[in-house]
Amino acid sequence: MLLMLRPKGASVAASQVRSLVKRLLATETASTPAEEHYDIIIGGGGMVGTTLAAALSKNRTLADKKVLLLEAAPEFKGFSASAPFHNRVSAISQSSIELFKAIDCWTHIEKARCKPVKQMQVWDANSDALIHFQHDNFASDVACIIENNLIIDAAYARIRDAAPNYKVLNKARIQCVSLPGKSGEHNTRVQLQDGRSFSCDLLIGADGANSVVRKQMGVDVLAFNYDRMSLVANVDLNIEEGCDNSVAWQRFLPSGPVALLPLSDKQSSLVWSTTVPHARQLLAMQPSEFVDALNEAFCRQYPRLEVADKALQALNAFFGHQGSQHQRQYPPRVCGVQERTRATFPLGFLHASSYVCNGAALVGDAAHRIHPLAGQGVNLGFGDVRELVDTLAAGAYAGFKLGDSQHLIKYERKSLARNVPIMIGVHGLHSLYSTQLSPVVLLRSLGLQLTENLPPIKKLFMKSAMG
Amino acid sequence: MLRNCTLFYPNRANKSLLRRLPRCFSLDQTSTTTGSSHQQEQQNADTAREVKHHENFASDWWNKKGPMAALHALNEIRVPLIRDGIIARGIVNSAYINTTNVLNGQRILEVGCGAGLLTEQLARLGAQVTGIDLGEELINKARSHLTESSPELCSKVDYKVQPIDQHAKTNDNHYDAVIVSEVLEHVEDKVALLEASVRTLKPGGSIFITTLNKTLPMWLGGIVLGEYVLNLAPKGTHHWDKMIAPLDVQRILDTMHCQTVLINGSTYDFWRNTWRWINSTQFCYALQAVKQE
Repeated sequence: MLLMLRPKGASVAASQVRSLVKRLLATETASTPAEEHYDIIIGGGGMVGTTLAAALSKNRTLADKKVLLLEAAPEFKGFSASAPFHNRVSAISQSSIELFKAIDCWTHIEKARCKPVKQMQVWDANSDALIHFQHDNFASDVACIIENNLIIDAAYARIRDAAPNYKVLNKARIQCVSLPGKSGEHNTRVQLQDGRSFSCDLLIGADGANSVVRKQMGVDVLAFNYDRMSLVANVDLNIEEGCDNSVAWQRFLPSGPVALLPLSDKQSSLVWSTTVPHARQLLAMQPSEFVDALNEAFCRQYPRLEVADKALQALNAFFGHQGSQHQRQYPPRVCGVQERTRATFPLGFLHASSYVCNGAALVGDAAHRIHPLAGQGVNLGFGDVRELVDTLAAGAYAGFKLGDSQHLIKYERKSLARNVPIMIGVHGLHSLYSTQLSPVVLLRSLGLQLTENLPPIKKLFMKSAMG
Repeated sequence: MLRNCTLFYPNRANKSLLRRLPRCFSLDQTSTTTGSSHQQEQQNADTAREVKHHENFASDWWNKKGPMAALHALNEIRVPLIRDGIIARGIVNSAYINTTNVLNGQRILEVGCGAGLLTEQLARLGAQVTGIDLGEELINKARSHLTESSPELCSKVDYKVQPIDQHAKTNDNHYDAVIVSEVLEHVEDKVALLEASVRTLKPGGSIFITTLNKTLPMWLGGIVLGEYVLNLAPKGTHHWDKMIAPLDVQRILDTMHCQTVLINGSTYDFWRNTWRWINSTQFCYALQAVKQE
């Protein structure tokens, strides 16, 4: 299946780039003095890159390795739990939380601030179909909403503990990479835009969807844009005293899903995926106008598909429920939007056909990018981190060189097997919900309601999506 | 890995096995020839042929996708087997366990090291490894690869072009472990090779052997399919006559006061170039035996 996903022609261009790069490197490195060598260089200090560095430092087998983290941005300013909420947040799954616990980052995060989600309600604007996700009797949380900056802060704390073996270099942009192999070179060499260069056994690309490392590896990718944008903002909620804001809400509108993720008792984070012109319009609105538009998005009646409603009624009757509104709740009213928290970003899909080669590997968005509708993007990245650290540790303990593709391929196999089904699932959901075509609406409504009514299927779904 | 391990009690098994003894020795197979000198000549010619066969691939030995691809992949299971086998003897300082220095200070001899695929990896775990092989070109390749790709290991590895019996003369009771990996199936006189290997071992040291079983499935899958249909290994690499069953190896080692503590069966998934342990020794196997005090 993966073979089918490889676009033809990309490899030709990639090989040309590589040969060009090699020539450039050959002329420039002749004059530079001996460069610093690291066991592992991580390109990209985002959530996944920093967490990877923290996880490496906490692994007994890899603890003595020399690691360099390259980050394009200036030095990280730190995180303050008393400052207003940051507008970039992530829904962190249970399995990612397990990872944070294992690498001693979780207490740091918990001590600052994070908001557990007890229940999730997802519903369709074109029919009565809805689904709830929760653990029995709310025994454990469905996910946890955490600010991205807090995760990075927790990871940096671990990286600082691991100094001097672990170093961070800011304002470092990778210019080009030469991989071991054909030229007789045995190490990976990394050259920065400012002329500095380093060598390493293994270069890990954690540098996001436009990964330079991936381009230099010449990996074939399947990528396309959704022609949609996500608008994020932090909003104030009108919640009665004593009520707990612990439900995540998501409604599939014809233009895309709109979701509210709890940040605190009074605030939630909004993620509104919609068409590009609509997103621009929302961004430019006055705050009061924006709040009205948002409240309307959650409550407005859209043209409904009668067949679907009737079919759902029949289905619910079959499962013994009284009517279709049996469990429907409505999200709290939004009463304000925090200033300067509105921002938009484009949505796209990306799948790298290969995650590793001799001397280099990809993690996180560098290897895969998906629609945020299921909140899975960064969790897939944390899954990569866990898999890669385990693989590297097992390989190093078996005497393999860190960059040996013979062993790295295990990481690729495990990660692809875990990521690809989720990526296909999320893309499928996006396609399913971005149409108002009657048969599709009918099928998706029945599918959603059937999942809601069949606990074993629902549990299976929750397990794969939330860990 | 330990789930596949089988403990053998040589004393109980010995009687029935003794009757099978003559069949498995190459010396007896060539007993139709008249003089012992003729026999010796034939053996030498055969050894030379084997060495030449392997030397043909010296230049491509380290190519992960070349003719030795399956051997590269085998490291994935044989290094952990050797590592854990040594740890299980209780001779590894617990501070080294789970670190990349786990075999620090262990003296290891690899008999038939080829171009050093396994040798380098053991050295990377801290072991002091001597690799011997009869193929001069292979040893040259091993040395050049070491200095080019892993110069930091140069002090840990010593390569020699030397037959094992000669090496044993000067290295009596010297090594913590001796490894005979994917070699036994290329040797006519297995008893002599094992005898010399065991002699270099300290009492309490382990000999590790990995080889092919002498079974019909192995012959069909490994030789007919593997060499002549799928080209997984070069044609003419393996011969039915020289394959040997695990019980026969175990019995030979028994006569040399080595107790077999572990026999693991393994198989090769050619479609993904991966080896894995299985609950049967029908195809390939790895064996660890400990030299008694």
